[in-house]
Amino acid sequence: MIEVLILSFSLTGLVIGVILVAARGKAMLFFTDFGETMKSLWSNRQPLGWIFCCVLLTAGFLFFFYLWPNIGIGAAQPIAFSHRLHAGHKAIACDYCHPYAGRSIHPGMPPVEKCLHCHNYIIANHPEIRKEHDYFNSQTPTPWVKVYYMAEHVVFNHQRHIKKEIACETCHGQVKQMDRLKGQRFKMGFCVQCHRQNEANADCWLACHS
Amino acid sequence: MFYKHFIFTFIISGSFQKTIMNRRTFLKIAGVGSASFAAGCNSHPERNLFSLVKAPEDRVTGTVSWYASTCRECPAGCGVLAANREGRVIKLEGNPLHPVNKGKLCARGQAALQGLYNPDRLVRPLLKTDDRWEEISYPKAFDLLEKNIEKTAQKGPDRIGMLTETVGDVLLALFKAFFSHYRSTNLYVFEPFVFESLKYVHARVLANPMLPGYRLDRADLIVGFGADFLETWLSPVEYARKFKNMHSFDSGQNGTFVHVAPFRSLTGANADQWIACRPHTEGYFALALINEVFKRGRGRKLTTPFRASLNRMLRNYNTEMAANICGVSQWQINNLVFSLMEAKRPLVLSSPTASAGTSSIGTDLAAVLLNILLDPKLPLYDFDQRHRVEIADSRSGIQKFWEKAGKGQMDTILLHQVNPAYSMPSGDEIVEILGRQELFSVAFTHFMDQTAAACDLVFPIKHFLESWDSYESKQGITTTLQPVAGKFNDAPQVGDVFLELFPRDKKPGADYKAYLVDTLTERHAIDTSIGWVKLIQSGGWFAPDKPAATPELTLGRQTTLLLRKLIPKKPSAAIESDKPVLYTTSSLRFYDGRGANRPWLCEIPETLTQIAWQSVALVSESLMSANHCKDGDSVQLRTGRGQIELPAYTYPGLYGNAVVTSLGLGHEHYGRYARKQGVNPVAVLDTGVDSDSGAPFYAAGLISLKYSGKNVPLALTSGSRSQLNRKIALNIPIKHLGKVMPTGIGLTMDTFPMTLPLPEGYNPQRDIYPAHDHDTCRWSMVVDLDRCTGCSACVAACYAENNIGVVGQQRIIEGREMAWIRIERYEDPEDPASLIFLPMMCQHCDNAPCKAVCPVYAPHHSKQGLNNQIYNRCIGTRFCAQNCPYKVRRFNWFDWQWPEPLNQQLNPNVTVRSKGVMEKCSFCIQRIKQAHDTAKNENRAILDGEVIPACVQTCPADALYFGNLMDKASTVRKMIRTARAYQVMGYLNTKPAVIYLKKVVRTI
Repeated sequence: MIEVLILSFSLTGLVIGVILVAARGKAMLFFTDFGETMKSLWSNRQPLGWIFCCVLLTAGFLFFFYLWPNIGIGAAQPIAFSHRLHAGHKAIACDYCHPYAGRSIHPGMPPVEKCLHCHNYIIANHPEIRKEHDYFNSQTPTPWVKVYYMAEHVVFNHQRHIKKEIACETCHGQVKQMDRLKGQRFKMGFCVQCHRQNEANADCWLACHS
Repeated sequence: MFYKHFIFTFIISGSFQKTIMNRRTFLKIAGVGSASFAAGCNSHPERNLFSLVKAPEDRVTGTVSWYASTCRECPAGCGVLAANREGRVIKLEGNPLHPVNKGKLCARGQAALQGLYNPDRLVRPLLKTDDRWEEISYPKAFDLLEKNIEKTAQKGPDRIGMLTETVGDVLLALFKAFFSHYRSTNLYVFEPFVFESLKYVHARVLANPMLPGYRLDRADLIVGFGADFLETWLSPVEYARKFKNMHSFDSGQNGTFVHVAPFRSLTGANADQWIACRPHTEGYFALALINEVFKRGRGRKLTTPFRASLNRMLRNYNTEMAANICGVSQWQINNLVFSLMEAKRPLVLSSPTASAGTSSIGTDLAAVLLNILLDPKLPLYDFDQRHRVEIADSRSGIQKFWEKAGKGQMDTILLHQVNPAYSMPSGDEIVEILGRQELFSVAFTHFMDQTAAACDLVFPIKHFLESWDSYESKQGITTTLQPVAGKFNDAPQVGDVFLELFPRDKKPGADYKAYLVDTLTERHAIDTSIGWVKLIQSGGWFAPDKPAATPELTLGRQTTLLLRKLIPKKPSAAIESDKPVLYTTSSLRFYDGRGANRPWLCEIPETLTQIAWQSVALVSESLMSANHCKDGDSVQLRTGRGQIELPAYTYPGLYGNAVVTSLGLGHEHYGRYARKQGVNPVAVLDTGVDSDSGAPFYAAGLISLKYSGKNVPLALTSGSRSQLNRKIALNIPIKHLGKVMPTGIGLTMDTFPMTLPLPEGYNPQRDIYPAHDHDTCRWSMVVDLDRCTGCSACVAACYAENNIGVVGQQRIIEGREMAWIRIERYEDPEDPASLIFLPMMCQHCDNAPCKAVCPVYAPHHSKQGLNNQIYNRCIGTRFCAQNCPYKVRRFNWFDWQWPEPLNQQLNPNVTVRSKGVMEKCSFCIQRIKQAHDTAKNENRAILDGEVIPACVQTCPADALYFGNLMDKASTVRKMIRTARAYQVMGYLNTKPAVIYLKKVVRTI
């Protein structure tokens, strides 16, 4: 929605600017009133020019921030891993790679060797898999870019939520449809809403904070 | 320009000062202000999640894995369990299977992690070249070592020397094999506190210079001649537990303890009676007891010649004379004799850890003889459980070592984890010897201490928490050590270095771990790898192999002659002159000084004085007033060897002319926390040793004690020595306990009833607000003051568990300490030498004064009764701290620093608080949370005793209990059904959830 608004707003501005410059403020024959307006606008062209520049800059900034291709698909990872392919298309269960989700507060990140369990055989020479091999051979931990953020003073317990059969998608979104994960910065409202609905523990420290 | 017209008025130190701000200043301030605003608002979240390359089998991210090992902070060798979270050790706890400490740890044990993760730990070998240190690689350092050893060995036998700390049998055997291979006999085990006098006496009386264990728990009367068994003596955690089993009211034993010494140490403060005797006269006191006990017919079963010679000797002594020499009254001696005769299982303990030299042997001999007279079978001696420190060489042996080195009879000196340059009075000479050109000296150590700084090569080795090893805490117990932390430097294990130094064909093992496994599996007949895994999982082999026989007594004429020689009829002139005597004591916090670079230990105040970080001289009131001193005034103490200057602090628990200062501080090196902090009194002690036992002199006669005219601000955490009648720490005479106490009903200090923090504790006539509606649990703690020894282990455990910042000496002087739990000590107004200790932490009041005054509702009463501090709400008004009657809330004046890699120890389950927020004890909410989750996962309620906060977990004396008050069957609920239960300042109607049990006063 916001994308459409920004686009139409900047396009309108662009059209007005083009007309102004093209007509040089001369009265136009077919719409007298409009011509007069154009004339007065032309006489104020200097401040208007500045305003236009500002609008253009803002629009440009918003464009690059929100509309630049791939902006909405999440951070680039050191290895172009696709959750859509693995979790969605190949239907590998979440806890195959994140095995501690049901056992610990932390879901766990798959160790490099786990990727190679399959990829020693499947597309082992794909350039992205070669990177994986490089990490393994050089004993380097993969620096995955974090996408889901929780405030530092919150301890989210994965185990309790899995035990209560809360689906991973409830918080993590449609992972199965995303190549790169878009991620989220979780805010307290997000948690509290669900805790209230399900009448879950709402004690500040006993539930989340530490 | 308009800026020029800005006039800013500042109020500086009460007066108005006008400053005209110019454009430049304005821009500077505006620039810095906006930059810091922008920077300060940025929370720097972790950007990356690192995956492991290979997942270790026993690690689950987000949970703790426990590894059993052994604490090597002192020779006692307690078993530890190390909590490993993602490769970092975050906490040490006692190993419940270990027979020495049974799951408990002292403050030094808790702080072992700060040795492992110390920011001043050496990670690369250092070679001294022209008085400068050059970092070299490990292979290069090893080559250098190897070449020097070979060169030295070629010169002839006995050219290599080594001092090591007390180590386990396997490592010691390796060292011995190494020394026999290189044909040298100069291998010595060095410890500053070796109990030479006790060993000497046992060699004479029990035919073996051993250090047997004591069954304190089975005694009904203990008489200690200074033995500080609750602090550092032999095995303090074990003896604290055993002492409380024998002494505390709730154990039902109700034994008594009398402390006879010129100094009432922390152990003495736990005694029912302290008999202050003149310095160096404990022997006379013990002899008077022998005399009286013998006269009353004890010792009949001993051999006739011995009895005859003892009888002859005792004719020259009498109680009146002893009372005069000791400066005590005769009835005190007679009273004690009466108690000894009455007691069924009396036990007499000898002199303190830090030996006073010659007078200590007299005391120890008299004490052992007294035990023998009272029961010749010595049933309270445990000859199966001899203390490991008995393998250490006496100080005279160590002196011989340095004499040989000084004469140039050694070319290579290896020093393994010892710091003789600091802990021996002849430290300067040692530094000079080590610095000689022709001598190659190597220090295997973790830190640049005074000794390492004098060596040619400093070879960092693995910390005990990173090593494979074994240790025999007691004879018959083998405890294992295994790496409990991820590897974070390349330092090798000392065993591996020595194995590599053997020629290839003569190596006793491929590497030290293999060597250790082979030795241990052979010794304990373990033939499967599962057997080995089980051994290291349980932390060792705890069953004694076979019971040791009680040694034969070798008493005779020579014993009495020795006794007469050590305790001559006419005391020495030094004793009679009543000149001040300086006693230097081993430190509860630093032991011999090895703990001085652990910031927690520095920050925890010494319980007796409540002073942190600093060294102080404890001076008696009479000596203080004679010198016109007050607390904090700097005094100069001069002995025959030199002078030290340190602040004085009045301590009533001293014989008039005794001056006491603790060892352990005053390092010249040893890292940022220890360097130039406090004073090392070893410098003024006599360099000699006692000619008989070879014991050093940790006491020295003072030539003068002078007020230097300076005053030092003390890092004192106590507000007052007395309770000012506020009814904080209470005691109760034992005879009142059987009686039904009238329960209070009024509103005054004396009549206010105990009001539990439960709905039943609410009374509409007293309370404005209604009762809290708690959900299944109302957490509560019970503190038994009769059990608390004031050892501060709980404080250290709390620092470790809850990421409490270390603020440093200056901040404590400003009154900004951070501890969540503290041990308060109060003097009895009628007898100032008698102290009472009170662990004070957040009381989690039902009617909390802090909550009422917070403008932003940061203190929050939880559904389970906890007083939660919500850091994100806190805006730092500090109203709560002001309104808290218990003064347990702590304000973060700064962001406290954990210099790398000290931050590795931080507990990830506890938020690190930042500047500007208030914090306090949370009853270890993270542990409650964990128990809560486990219970929910298993679909059950939380069990009684399932939640154990860090302080409760580690308390060696079991003084703390934690549980649910709403459960009528819980331990805490049962415990408070006694006339001893009370709440600190409960008359304020705060309804605290911490319920104290009064200390029981026993009269002898």
